[in-house]
Amino acid sequence: MSNPDKKALRAAKKAEKARIKEEKYYLASQWQLMARKLGKHQLARLSLVILGFLYIVALFGDFLAPYNLTEYDANSKDLPPTAIHFMYEGEYIGPYVFKSEWGTLKMSVAEMSKAKKEAEARGETFSTRQIITDETTPLKLHWFVHGSSYKILGLFESDLHLFGIEGGKIFLFGSDNLGRDLFSRIILGSQVSLTIPFAGTLISFVLGLLIGSVSGYFGGTVDNVIQRIIEVLNSLPSLPLWMALSAAIPAGIPPVQMYLLITVILSLIGWTGLARVVRGKFMSLKNEDYVLAARLAGVSDMKIIMKHMVPGFMSYLIVSLTLGIPSMIIGETSMSFLGLGIQAPATSWGVLLKEAQNVTNIVSHPWCLIPLFFVVLTVLAFNFLGDGMRDAADPYK
Amino acid sequence: MGSYIWKRVLTFIPILLIMSLVIFFIIQLPPGDYLTSYVAGLKAEGQIVDESEMDSLKERYGLDQPWFVQYFKWMWGILTRFDFGYSFDYEKPVWPVIAEVLPMTIVVSIATMLFNYLFGIPIGIYSAVHQYSVGDYCFTLVGFLGMAVPNFLFAILLMYGTYIWTGTAFIGLYSNEILLGLQQGTLQWYDLLLRGDFWGRMAIPIIVIGTSGTCGTLRSMRAQMLDELGRNYVLCARAKGVSERRIIYKYCLRAALNPTVSGLSGVLSHIFNGSTISAIVMNLQLVGPRLYSALKAQDMYLAGTILLVMGFLIVLGTLLSDIMLAWLDPRIRFSGRRAE
Amino acid sequence: MSEKTEPIIRVNDLHVSIKMDEGTLTPVRGVSFEIKPGETLGLVGESGCGKSLTSKAILGINDKKCHSGGEILFQGDDGKVIDLLKLDPQGKPIRAIRGKQISMIFQEPMVAFSPMYTIGNQINECTRLHITKDKKESKAITLEMMKKVGIANAEKRYDQFPHEFSGGMLQRALIAMALVCKPRLLIADEPTTALDVTIQAQILELMQQLQKELGMAILFITHDLGTVAKMCDRVAVMYLGRIVETGTAREIYKNPQHPYTRGLMGSVHKIGSRKLDRLFSIEGTVPLALNLRPGCGFYDRCDVRVEGVCDKAEPETCCIEGTHCAACVHCRKGGAEK
Repeated sequence: MSNPDKKALRAAKKAEKARIKEEKYYLASQWQLMARKLGKHQLARLSLVILGFLYIVALFGDFLAPYNLTEYDANSKDLPPTAIHFMYEGEYIGPYVFKSEWGTLKMSVAEMSKAKKEAEARGETFSTRQIITDETTPLKLHWFVHGSSYKILGLFESDLHLFGIEGGKIFLFGSDNLGRDLFSRIILGSQVSLTIPFAGTLISFVLGLLIGSVSGYFGGTVDNVIQRIIEVLNSLPSLPLWMALSAAIPAGIPPVQMYLLITVILSLIGWTGLARVVRGKFMSLKNEDYVLAARLAGVSDMKIIMKHMVPGFMSYLIVSLTLGIPSMIIGETSMSFLGLGIQAPATSWGVLLKEAQNVTNIVSHPWCLIPLFFVVLTVLAFNFLGDGMRDAADPYK
Repeated sequence: MGSYIWKRVLTFIPILLIMSLVIFFIIQLPPGDYLTSYVAGLKAEGQIVDESEMDSLKERYGLDQPWFVQYFKWMWGILTRFDFGYSFDYEKPVWPVIAEVLPMTIVVSIATMLFNYLFGIPIGIYSAVHQYSVGDYCFTLVGFLGMAVPNFLFAILLMYGTYIWTGTAFIGLYSNEILLGLQQGTLQWYDLLLRGDFWGRMAIPIIVIGTSGTCGTLRSMRAQMLDELGRNYVLCARAKGVSERRIIYKYCLRAALNPTVSGLSGVLSHIFNGSTISAIVMNLQLVGPRLYSALKAQDMYLAGTILLVMGFLIVLGTLLSDIMLAWLDPRIRFSGRRAE
Repeated sequence: MSEKTEPIIRVNDLHVSIKMDEGTLTPVRGVSFEIKPGETLGLVGESGCGKSLTSKAILGINDKKCHSGGEILFQGDDGKVIDLLKLDPQGKPIRAIRGKQISMIFQEPMVAFSPMYTIGNQINECTRLHITKDKKESKAITLEMMKKVGIANAEKRYDQFPHEFSGGMLQRALIAMALVCKPRLLIADEPTTALDVTIQAQILELMQQLQKELGMAILFITHDLGTVAKMCDRVAVMYLGRIVETGTAREIYKNPQHPYTRGLMGSVHKIGSRKLDRLFSIEGTVPLALNLRPGCGFYDRCDVRVEGVCDKAEPETCCIEGTHCAACVHCRKGGAEK
């Protein structure tokens, strides 16, 4: 084969490839296009990674958290985050911590009065009960240690934890006023805080889709009645409604049931917005020719709704669902914060934030605000993701 | 226009009635009633309770009747005598209990709403007109953060901040001086509106309650404005030689205000939510904390009336926003007229 | 030269490029033409070939993302020639030209008006900006123009909103808005595409009649060759951001040179013939003006392409007779190849 022939062949192949690529672009389904556009949205991609990470942590929470919800230590109340060291006496020995807990200072009377004076000079009050850090013996951090037992994914019994130390305790994010590890509680609390919005959204999704489509498809009196109901529900401030509804939850029911009830409460109020979106879309799609054609062909109402109309605006629904999750997270947090949501022994980020209820507590233990960081992070991530998805779902962008 | 307003007003009457029914149904949902929880409290303290006295009290307040009978009696009282029932907890009629805090709640709500719109709308416009500028990025970041921080936690952060800066913790809506004046009757709530020190103190609650709503307004205003700026009529106006300023303010703004105005009742509801929980955290003398304690104590008429008043105000907000929408957008005005 | 033959606008080597994430898109690549007073130039081409961008570039109302290069020399009513591209697109000088000396009729009348204000208000805005600040006088001028474009009952229509107008009426209102200041150059961007055929004819007649009355030049943009034949003195055929053939309407209809022009003609004249099938069955559509290969832009779709020539370099423009020019390697022989 001569050289120009080869060249032409190569060029032809290249053109062919480009054409296939172009064709793929034009033939890609709506979802593929959305995914592609979403991938280009930097913030949305980052949010997706962060959320993925948070959910994986929640899934394997029992394994990743060094302690469980009930472990406490009277000598470890309100400890600041434990410092992790690597070098000991000029030598690298791997990550380790020093044991640190509340204890009574052993000192003579003279020493004590001197310390007292010094403290008063600095404007502080002196107490012999102090956090004592034992800097003589490094406690090495061990990987895959045995601790309290739990069930992996609720199936297999195990007592393995990712890390831990022997002969002391490690508090990566400090401890609370009962001497419980905040790090473990944030991880275990995320199992509630991250799943309630999801479950709640799912319920509102079903409710909103069902009621909204009935309202939009049939119109007339049915629509009128449903719209009035939605208006009434929207006219009530939702937080007092949550308060009223959660006051109806009987005290002392098992955590799982309580969890479900709170989810239901959140979604009972959350569905109206979605129902409106669905209704609006139905109203505009109802008069489209392809719906009319399906109806003339004798397709049943239900089938028209499910097969012809819903797929037409599914992407919008998913977007408004994603954007609805943050308000559910904040709702759950607010309820738990007020003591109306999840109750001990179960925990959530809102419950943890109860410790941050007064200013003096924050001033003396600033680490009690750490759960706030996770709430904000999650809400932001969902907002950015929803924003990115909205852009991606818009065919004109 | 007049008949359009009249029609909207009429549709709100059934809404208010249904709303009152829903409210009453929800607040009677928790098992037991005020007396049973009161008795349980007394017993827990070791006091002896006379059962027959309780029964007679129950009968007197009608607590032994089914809930809908109680509802109709309550509604009847409201409609015929403007009597909202009796607060068990305060041991006096409901209305005076609410009237103590209602004016200030409305003042705070209106001030917050003004804050919301005065900041949200101009910043939203700025962000849209200068899309992808440094300012836009900053406001976008602030907007998202403001929406992400639950406002009770924002309250705590602000209280923490003022504590660090000024050394005193911010508690309550009134300074001691004002509080004294209010208690002695030398000051009325409306006197406060002219006092600078009162508004200085109000700033924190307004910021706390209003920030998330403001950020929401900002975001939706920006999105809407961008939408309008991309429309063909903008191009057409530009081709006529109309200046950018005029295009933005005459054409785009008016159209872009639509969702913001129709979201007015949502903003109001948001403010009530925010003020309820923030007022509890910050110890503000507003309706919210009273509602909270009334719900906890199952002081049902008080709770029901507060919810009804909030609902009424929100419905009023919806009415106002509908009227404003009709004024803004001729299409709505006309479809309203045609519907008759 | 007398004033009559001096062109009112001369576009030289106009480029419009758009910066995108994937690279720079250049939808308009070196367009040149001129229009004399009273003349109508038809700009013809498929959607996406850069017609609208060219017209918007003249007014400087393209999107901020678009960057225009080249020259657009416009002779104002004071006789001075200015390069419109050199003016600040938001500044006063160009705004004084827009609507007053150059105005534009848009494609879809339904979305060219803001739904928030009355038609009268929006037309009158033009009058008040450019002619007189006096309310009564400007309203009188506006009403006169509304009557002239055939809006019956103009006094009542003045206070109506766009949603109360029919499509044809809106287009008339749009024409009134464009003509109310008696511009020297009118750009009509597919003014009849969104209308019924009967109304199309009315609108076109109206435009011709008003052109005679006002003596203005028209840049008529369309993809409909039938309309071109009716309206235009000269025609420029655009493909992929370039003008591939120019000439008088007669020249182009009688003796199309560029294969693309022939394709367009074929799709109009011989409906149902194999030629029509072939035109639409040519693989792909207009390629994206992104990362273009060297050579003729029509290469892939051309049925008379010469391998090794057409895909190497852009064919040069050559003129057959007088004003009739085409950018194709086949046009040298002074007649059609096939």
